[in-house]
Amino acid sequence: MANRGGPGGRPNGTAQQQQGGGGGGRICQFKLVLLGESAVGKSSLVLRFVKGQFHEYQESTIGAAFLTQTLCLEDTTVKFEIWDTAGQERYHSLAPMYYRGAQAAIVVYDVTNQDTFGRAKTWVKELQRHASPNIVIALAGNKADLSNKRNVELDEAKAYAEENGLLFMETSAKTAVNVNEIFQEIGESIVGLFVLVVGIQICRSEQSRLNYVSKIVYSLWYRK
Amino acid sequence: MNDEELVQRAADERAAIVAKYRHGRRDGAVIDSWEDPSFEIYHVLDRYGFIHDKNNKHFSNERISETLDPNVVKVEMLRVKKWVKMLRHWDSVVGSEKLKRRVFKGIPNSLRGQVWSKVLDLSTIREQQHGKYQEMRDLAWRWSPDIRQIDLDVNRTYRDHIMFRERYNLKQQELFNVLGAYSMYNLEIGYCQGMSQIAALLLMYLDEEDAFWALSVLVSDRKYNMHGFFIPGFPKLLRYQEHHDKIMQKFLPKLKKHLDKNGVDTGIYTLKWFFQCFLDRIPFRLTLRVWDVYLLMGERILTAMAYNLLKLHRRKLLSLGMDEILQFLQVHLEKKFEVDDDVAMESLSHCLDDLKKNKLDYPGPPPPNELPRRPFGLFKEPSFEHKVGRRSSEFSAVERSARESVVLRRDAASAAALAESPVQEGHPNGHARHSHGDNTTLPGKYILYSSRL
Repeated sequence: MANRGGPGGRPNGTAQQQQGGGGGGRICQFKLVLLGESAVGKSSLVLRFVKGQFHEYQESTIGAAFLTQTLCLEDTTVKFEIWDTAGQERYHSLAPMYYRGAQAAIVVYDVTNQDTFGRAKTWVKELQRHASPNIVIALAGNKADLSNKRNVELDEAKAYAEENGLLFMETSAKTAVNVNEIFQEIGESIVGLFVLVVGIQICRSEQSRLNYVSKIVYSLWYRK
Repeated sequence: MNDEELVQRAADERAAIVAKYRHGRRDGAVIDSWEDPSFEIYHVLDRYGFIHDKNNKHFSNERISETLDPNVVKVEMLRVKKWVKMLRHWDSVVGSEKLKRRVFKGIPNSLRGQVWSKVLDLSTIREQQHGKYQEMRDLAWRWSPDIRQIDLDVNRTYRDHIMFRERYNLKQQELFNVLGAYSMYNLEIGYCQGMSQIAALLLMYLDEEDAFWALSVLVSDRKYNMHGFFIPGFPKLLRYQEHHDKIMQKFLPKLKKHLDKNGVDTGIYTLKWFFQCFLDRIPFRLTLRVWDVYLLMGERILTAMAYNLLKLHRRKLLSLGMDEILQFLQVHLEKKFEVDDDVAMESLSHCLDDLKKNKLDYPGPPPPNELPRRPFGLFKEPSFEHKVGRRSSEFSAVERSARESVVLRRDAASAAALAESPVQEGHPNGHARHSHGDNTTLPGKYILYSSRL
């Protein structure tokens, strides 16, 4: 297991992401789970992110599938351990197996289907109640390439996301729009959080702790 | 929308889906362009009907070379003769050692459908239940609340197989009908994801009505009892996973420890093995061989094959970390099993004997909560919630207990991983570790692991 944090992308990682994999300082590893109604494109988002591919007839996921991908963010290499789950309601009772201990979740809906948006809200509620308290939740309105068939308005979803403190993007696994971006944003927000927490933990002296926190706060401030 | 409108909307949606399947690909068919493959040059079609293209999941050099290997075909041609003879005198071979031995060696592909149908005794059921299938199918077209999900799944079941390639073609129609009819026939299951691949496999070898009855036998016959896998809460899955743990503890303790240490608990990797008898987790031609013996011998094969698979690959698995273990079991083994099919089947037979000797071959008869409670094939109008696809906000008692058990297992696995792995190794439960002594700033290289599992 010691080797799992080693630098460098996964063999199936995209070249672009591999390049940065070897460089830089920290390596972070996060568990991320995808939830959402059946056929909204959970597996397709993962396939696009991990392999840069899109299959029109992506098979239904039975139970769950596990994949990994690394991303490079400034001086941090983020490795995502991705759990892609089955969408049918019946599999809902198994979901805790995958979201327990997750640092991030992407709740996916289909912009052409209002029901799936309602379902996404239910997932968000469940995560807020039963997942780790500081889990980072992102809401993805997938199939954005079909905006001529849109049934969920961008503003409606945006407002909901803001209200609930979620990251939000409309994505298209088919055209790749916002797919890397949503993972990147999730990565950034977790790294920000964890660097702070862990950094504090490993600073031994009071002074170094203080230095460290001020450094972080400073950098966060200027990024905004 | 008020209740009436919701029901109407669902009914309209169902009617539109059904109409599309009933129309098929005849003139005037309206098919979204993305749903149908455009003109393609098939790279290779293997002997089972899968299209091999570098872009698709089933692509494997191994399988293509098998297509071209004249030896495989030759051996099979010899076997066909013996099997034809056996089929003629079926009643005298049923239950014999000879039949078992031959099934372990593999049913010739050209006779597979006939043999499966004999083993499952489909002609008798079909006679007894004359007209029932058509009745159920017609009811499904009018009433099945699962039509929407079935449609979604037919559209993505074995699309890389020539039979299911084109949208609304004959086999897609059949698959849609079989699953729909079954959802009305067995109201406790309705339709559960995972069944579409099973039905599709059956349809590769059987006609529509036979495939329906084969599915029905698999679900409700004592020999297979798949009912408990597919009903809400999946009670049989949990029971089988516990049994699998027992087998691992006894026969592969070192591997079990390794898997535990890496947080790979049984619940994660066995679901598809048990639900679908190894479909898509081992190469298709080996899947067929496992299915041959599964149909002949029943659910003991699930237990034995799970053990067999891990036993055959234990050395490899012991050298892998969490990611690679899952990658290996989920993806790699399907593309390249590493072990010759005949060797794997022989080993399966040994595993079965080993387990039998230790009274671990059979997890026991299904408890009442895994058995059907309602008679099959009796029409009952779906409830309002069911009709409009409204999800219950509450879990049923069965689902609640499944959920609790999942959480317990998961936590136990995490705890085991925590206990097993020394701090310096780093594991998902550990806090951050750092390899360098510099404590005043962030060390140059360290791994952040999450806490809280």
